[in-house]
Amino acid sequence: MTAVYAGPVQRLIDELGRLPGVGPKSAQRIAFYILKLAPEDARRLAGSIVEVKEKISWCRRCFNIAEGELCQFCQDERRDRTVLCVVEEPRDIVAVERTQEFRGSYHVLQGTISPIEGIGPDQLRIKELLTRVRDDGVTEVILATNPNTDGEVTAMYLARALSESGTKVTRIASGLPVGGDLEYADEVTLGRAFEGRRTLDP
Amino acid sequence: MHLGRLWLRDFRCYEQVELALESGVTVVTGSNGQGKTSLLEAVAWIATGRSMRGVPDRALVRAGTDEAIVRAEIEHPEHRVLVEAAIKSVGRNRILANKQTVTRRRDLSEHLRVTVFAPDDLALVKGGPGGRREYIDDLLVNAIPRFSAVTTDYERVIKQRNALLRAGIRDADDRRTRDVFDVRLTEVGAELVRGRLDLIARLAPEIGVAYASLAGSAPGFATAYEPEWHDGPLASDEVEVALTEALARLRKREEDRGVTLVGPHRDDWALVLEDLDARHHASQGEQRTLALGMRLAGHRVVADAIGVEPVLLLDDVFSELDSQRAMALVEHLPATQTLITTAGALPEGIRADAWLRIDAGRLV
Repeated sequence: MTAVYAGPVQRLIDELGRLPGVGPKSAQRIAFYILKLAPEDARRLAGSIVEVKEKISWCRRCFNIAEGELCQFCQDERRDRTVLCVVEEPRDIVAVERTQEFRGSYHVLQGTISPIEGIGPDQLRIKELLTRVRDDGVTEVILATNPNTDGEVTAMYLARALSESGTKVTRIASGLPVGGDLEYADEVTLGRAFEGRRTLDP
Repeated sequence: MHLGRLWLRDFRCYEQVELALESGVTVVTGSNGQGKTSLLEAVAWIATGRSMRGVPDRALVRAGTDEAIVRAEIEHPEHRVLVEAAIKSVGRNRILANKQTVTRRRDLSEHLRVTVFAPDDLALVKGGPGGRREYIDDLLVNAIPRFSAVTTDYERVIKQRNALLRAGIRDADDRRTRDVFDVRLTEVGAELVRGRLDLIARLAPEIGVAYASLAGSAPGFATAYEPEWHDGPLASDEVEVALTEALARLRKREEDRGVTLVGPHRDDWALVLEDLDARHHASQGEQRTLALGMRLAGHRVVADAIGVEPVLLLDDVFSELDSQRAMALVEHLPATQTLITTAGALPEGIRADAWLRIDAGRLV
């Protein structure tokens, strides 16, 4: 799209258009919404963007978002430091936390191996993971990357990289949502679940 | 399952039309360019959410309008489903089934299934291996839904692995990354190859039967899966080992060319009539008959797998066949709703349950 608006408006549209999931049309709509905002609302929005960049950085240990050196989980003395759950993004931690099942620590890769985007193991927090496993006496690494091609490949890479450490490495299972009805499961998930069926001990 | 009523608005050359269809054989006549194929295309869209001619949706919207509307009433033994689609020239389509939003395209196949034969299906026999792979993989997904995830996974693996090879394998990290993509390619690729092998084993006798009934004689039909990366026959339980070996053998060449040379995306399968490779040696007439036989056989296999006969859409099929074969086709049609378009004269003695004449996007 060529620039058709006065300088500042077009600059705002261009900036918004760089956000994930925002196309040129949405960028334009959001820009005009912002133009109509009360000055204090606009200032609050701009302020929170600046604030988040100033105050929030990556946790020195696990690379989750942190308001300081360490994130809330790495600061929490009650969390088990010898069990690590490896996730792709900080927002995956929120999902695991909702289970209330996991009392160990996290490690955020900040992405997956993806040659299309030029992301190799080097661009991920893998070296840091290996160091943690070696130095912190980690007994189990749970690989909780997404169950798609990129997540599976990354999990396999990690399993191989960790094999020398002697630490137990596990992969989360995939299958049917619990509490749902079989009839509502989509055929792909159900097909996979059938493939991964197990013997029921009486 | 059959299509009862069909409404089109601003679809291709149709301004507005409403049809009531019979459950048996309907012959659609009209001169060229009047909208016969577009009618089949609308029916196929309701079943698949895309054009059977492989054009983008905006090409389906009548010039000067923003959206095409297709509504179809589908009769099942115990119930009736109204599928409504607003196909937009720009933006997202809206699809409803009995007024409930349909979010995934492949969910449309719950309500309506079609088997399409089009004149350019000749390429199934005569053309490159890509068309034959697409034919077999489409049937696989239709017969066993799980394969839609397998094919998507496999495409992603190949795309990623190609990007890696193109950038060059330079250090230990790159080699380790390739190693894990190799494992994934072997797992997912083997699943796809095994699926194809099983399906081809089921298809081959059906193709033989369909060809024989069309040709009026029973020539020997045989087929063999031809992986580019493996010599000789390949059994289902050898696929993983064969892929692993081929990846090791072709490693250097893949590095030089920067592209994945091993895996089902490189495969073909031979179509043999009377001991001759029909891809190169059959006459045009034999190739056309074989292509039609492959569509009818695919129809049979999917119908057996899902327990429902898809609606058969035969576009301009008579122009492809001599009158004897055309008669044989009509006599051996599967017992399902069938729409046949034709521009020319019909072979004599053809019986149809209904006739529709289309002229300039209108029913006459």
